[in-house]
Amino acid sequence: MQEAPTETTKVSTSLRELQEISFSERAAEGALIFVVIFLLPGRSKEHFMSGINPKVLTIYLVKKAGQLILSLFVLSLMVFFIARIAPGDPLRAYYGEAVERMSQVQLEAAEERLGLNDSLITQYVHWGQQALQGDFGISYQYKQPVTQVIGQVWSNTASLVAASFAAIFLLGLLLAVFCVRHEGKWPDRLICRLGVAANSIPEFFVGLILILIFSVSFNLLPQSGANSLGGGGFGDHLLHLILPTAAIVISHLWYCAYLMRNRLSDEVAKEYVLLCKVKGLTERQTIYKHCLKNIMPSVMNIMVIFLPHLLGGAYVVEMVFAYPGLGKLGVDSAQYHDYNMLMVICLLTGAIVIVANLAAQVIHETLDPQSREERGQML
Amino acid sequence: MKKLPCISILLLTGILAGCLLADLFIPYDPTYMSLTEISQAPSSVHLFGTDTLGRDLFSVIWYGGRISLIIGLLATLITTVIAVIYGTISGLASERIDNLMMRFTEMLLSIPGILLVIFLQAIWGEASVWSIAVVIGLTGWMAIAKMVRSEVRQLRSSGFVLAARTMGGGFFYILWTHLLPNFMSAIMFMIVTNIGSAITMEATLSFLGAGLPADIISWGSLLSLSQRAMLTGCWWMLIIPGLFLIVTLICITEIGEYLRTRNRRDRLM
Repeated sequence: MQEAPTETTKVSTSLRELQEISFSERAAEGALIFVVIFLLPGRSKEHFMSGINPKVLTIYLVKKAGQLILSLFVLSLMVFFIARIAPGDPLRAYYGEAVERMSQVQLEAAEERLGLNDSLITQYVHWGQQALQGDFGISYQYKQPVTQVIGQVWSNTASLVAASFAAIFLLGLLLAVFCVRHEGKWPDRLICRLGVAANSIPEFFVGLILILIFSVSFNLLPQSGANSLGGGGFGDHLLHLILPTAAIVISHLWYCAYLMRNRLSDEVAKEYVLLCKVKGLTERQTIYKHCLKNIMPSVMNIMVIFLPHLLGGAYVVEMVFAYPGLGKLGVDSAQYHDYNMLMVICLLTGAIVIVANLAAQVIHETLDPQSREERGQML
Repeated sequence: MKKLPCISILLLTGILAGCLLADLFIPYDPTYMSLTEISQAPSSVHLFGTDTLGRDLFSVIWYGGRISLIIGLLATLITTVIAVIYGTISGLASERIDNLMMRFTEMLLSIPGILLVIFLQAIWGEASVWSIAVVIGLTGWMAIAKMVRSEVRQLRSSGFVLAARTMGGGFFYILWTHLLPNFMSAIMFMIVTNIGSAITMEATLSFLGAGLPADIISWGSLLSLSQRAMLTGCWWMLIIPGLFLIVTLICITEIGEYLRTRNRRDRLM
C-alpha cells in the first residue's frame, strides 16, 4: 500500500520532466537536430571505451587501416594504368606544337625525361615512390607540380561541398520529418512527386536556370567565379557560393530526403512510439527526441553513400558557374590531355570517399555492434 | 501499388515517335546553318526560333533527340550486359572471390561517375556517339551488378539451379535459362532508370565540352551552345531543348518508379 503512491509520484515527476523538456524543444525545433548530432560522438566514445578490451581494439584498428591502405593501393593502380594506356600524347600536351619540329633524338630525350619509355610496372613503382613523398609529378598543362595547382583551388571546392552537404543534411531531415508527419496525405505526395522530378533534372541545367533567373533577369547574385575580380572578403565568397550551392541542393536533396523519409517512416511504425504516445508526448516530441536519434546511424550511412554523388554534382556545377575548383580543373585538364592532373583529382576524390566510408563504418559498428556481424554475413 | 503512369508513357511514346519519324515533319534541314538567321526568337517561320549557328531549333530538337536516346539505350545495354555477367559471377563464386569482387565495385563506386566518364573519354580521344555510349556504359554498371549479385546469392541454392549444375549446365546456360528470368523483374527498374542517367550523363558531358561536338546534334550539344546565348537574353535556346530533356527524364524516372514499387524487393536497401 505504501509503495503505490511513490510509484505514481515518480511517474508524475518524470512526466513533468518530460514536459519541461518539451517546452524547450518546441522553442528550438530545428536546433535540436544539432543536439542529436553532437550527442552521437559522445555516446559512441563512451560505448567504445567501456566494452572492448585494448587488444581487440588494436586488432580492429589495424584491420581497418589495412583495408584503407589496400583500397587506396588498388585505386591508385587502376587510375594509373587507365591513364597510361591513353593513346593521347602527353609529349604534345607538354611541349605543344613544338613536338612536330623536334628531331627523333630530341623526342627520345624528352620521352626519357618524362619517363615515358619504361615498362608500365617500372613507371608505376617509380610514380608510387614519388607519390608517397607527396610528389605527384608535374601538370603538363600548367607546367607546375600538380599538388601546387590543386593547393590553389581545393579550398573553393571544399567550401562548396561543405555548404551543400550541411544544407542537404539539415533540409533533408526536416523534409523527411515533414513528409512522415503527413505520410500518405497530399503534402507528402506532392513533395514526393516534386522531389522525383527535381531529382531527375541534370544539375547543370538547374544551374543554368538559376543563372537565368537570378543573374541575367534580376541581376541579384554573381553568376561566376569564387570571388569578385580583384579578390573580395569572406562575405563576397559567401555571395558567390549561394547559387552553386542552391543548384546542388535542388538537384540532390531528394536523393537523401527520400531515403531518410523511408527510414523514418519505418521507425515511426515501431512499438516504442506507441509507448511515447501513451506517456503523453506529442508526435513532434516523439520524432525529434526519440526517432531521429535512433535513425542517426542509418542517416549517416545515407550521407556517406551520397558523398560521391555530391562530389560529382559539385564538379559539374563548378563548370556551370566557372567556379575555380577541382571540378573545373578536372574538365580543363581532360581537354588538354593533362593526365597527371586528372589522375590526382580522381585519386583524391576516391580517397576522400573511401576514408569517409570507412569512418562511417567504424562509427556505425561501435554504435551498433550487431551490424558488424550482418555485414560479415552479407559480404 | 501504384497506378500505371499513363501520362509518362504517352509523353515518352510521343517523344520517341517524334524523334524516329522526324524526317516526315520537320520543316528545315537540321544540319543547314542559315547565316542570315542567327539567334532568332520563336516565330511562325521558326517555331522554336533558331540557335547561334542559324539552325532551326524545331527541326534540330527532334533530330537531336535520336542521338540522345540512342546513346541512352546503347549505354544501358552495355551496362546491363556487364552488370549481369559480373553480378552473376560474383554471386556464384566462393566467399573469398565474391568478397574481392564486391570490394572492387565499391571502390569504383567511390569515384564520382562523371569524373570517370570525363577521364575515360579524354583518354579515348575524339568523341563519337559510339565512344560516349561505351564510356558511359563502362562506368555505370556497379549498382546493378550489386543488385544482381544479391539476387543470385538468394537463388544459387534453390533446387532448380542445383539440379542444372549437377547435370553439368554451363555458366551461360544457367544464367540464361534459370537465373535471368528470376532476377530480371528485380533489376528492371534499375535498367530503366539507367537509361535516364545515361542520357543525363551524355547531356552533361556534351555540355561540359568533353562530349559530342556541336556539329553532331544531341540535346546535350544543343545545350552546350545555350550558356553563352543565355547571357545575351536568348532564353529559348536553353528552355526549349532543356524542356525536352527534362520531360523525357521525368517520364523515364516515373516509369522506373512504377516498376520499382511493383515489386517491393528493394526495401532491403
